[in-house]
Amino acid sequence: MTDQHENPQQDDAEIRALLRDLPAPEADAGFYEQALARATLQGARRRRHRRVMTGLVGAIAAGLALWLVGGALLQDAPVPEPGIPEVTMALEEPRTVNLVFSASEAMEAATLTVSLPAGIELAGFPGQSEISWETSLGEGRNLLPLKFVALTPAGGELLARLEHNNRNREFRLRVDVSRI
Amino acid sequence: MQWSETNLAFERLVRPHFDRLYRLAWRLAGSKAEAEDLFQELLIKVYGKLDDLARIEQPGPWLCRVMYNLFIDEQRRFTRHRLQTVDESRLGSEGIAGIEATGPAAHDPAASQQQLEIAERLEKALAKLSVEHRIVVLLHDTEGYKLEEIQELTGTPVGTVKSRLHRARARLREILTADGTFS
Repeated sequence: MTDQHENPQQDDAEIRALLRDLPAPEADAGFYEQALARATLQGARRRRHRRVMTGLVGAIAAGLALWLVGGALLQDAPVPEPGIPEVTMALEEPRTVNLVFSASEAMEAATLTVSLPAGIELAGFPGQSEISWETSLGEGRNLLPLKFVALTPAGGELLARLEHNNRNREFRLRVDVSRI
Repeated sequence: MQWSETNLAFERLVRPHFDRLYRLAWRLAGSKAEAEDLFQELLIKVYGKLDDLARIEQPGPWLCRVMYNLFIDEQRRFTRHRLQTVDESRLGSEGIAGIEATGPAAHDPAASQQQLEIAERLEKALAKLSVEHRIVVLLHDTEGYKLEEIQELTGTPVGTVKSRLHRARARLREILTADGTFS
């Protein structure tokens, strides 16, 4: 598409021209207003919470003893499949998979661990086969979009494990990689 | 000050900087959902610092620094928020088949097909850079930040910024040559 140049400055100019023309992201209509409204509500709530937080932590933890988490994976057609769901990815093409967690109650400080088969990476975490982080779930359905990249055509099984208050639940996803 | 007056004062101070902050959030986070989370988190944080904000002569650079620090903090906390769950309704059509339509390239319907293809390749190449290199090259070459502004924003010395910029461009060229964008 573009001729290669031996002159490094010329090369730089081409790269810079591509970067300069990268489309500018724009917020959806109404996003700023929603963000402002949430900030003023939550900001005020945080101020109040700071004053009473210490005494409430124990009570909140006890109140979360009963919880139930279900999982499903949204694919091209958002229909739950029996058994282990599958997704097909193209080699080196980032794809987003939405993990769906249904929680009967809000959960703070749940731990989610994703174990990846060889040759599959989570975007932004090169070379890591297991990624773990703390998250919180609201009551009801929670979506976690994860962007994966297949570096080899091997595919395999991806495991997501959610842990909270010494309970855990595992979700599996079969990943096939096409060469196209 | 009454709550409604506080909100009005807050809005007057932050709204003029929304577009720049949103772009910065996107360039830092790399996706719409994560950019929205970062933008939201910034507003919530600075709402609690309204008194500080009101005393600052140039709120724009200060807000950018707070956003950058939020992003870095979240990275250090192992992406607690970067990978946090989001409301289903906020994802719109984003799904496993919708990722191409949610990238920044989708915001310019007038661009030619070839430009869109190159932009997609460039986005993929950028995703392969380290966070430090990606941020520097996007802020400088795409958003037009000066080296000194990047130093002020990130706390990274200008010499290091220059070095990262050079390496990021070189790496981008390598990737784009390998995928055929440059022949």
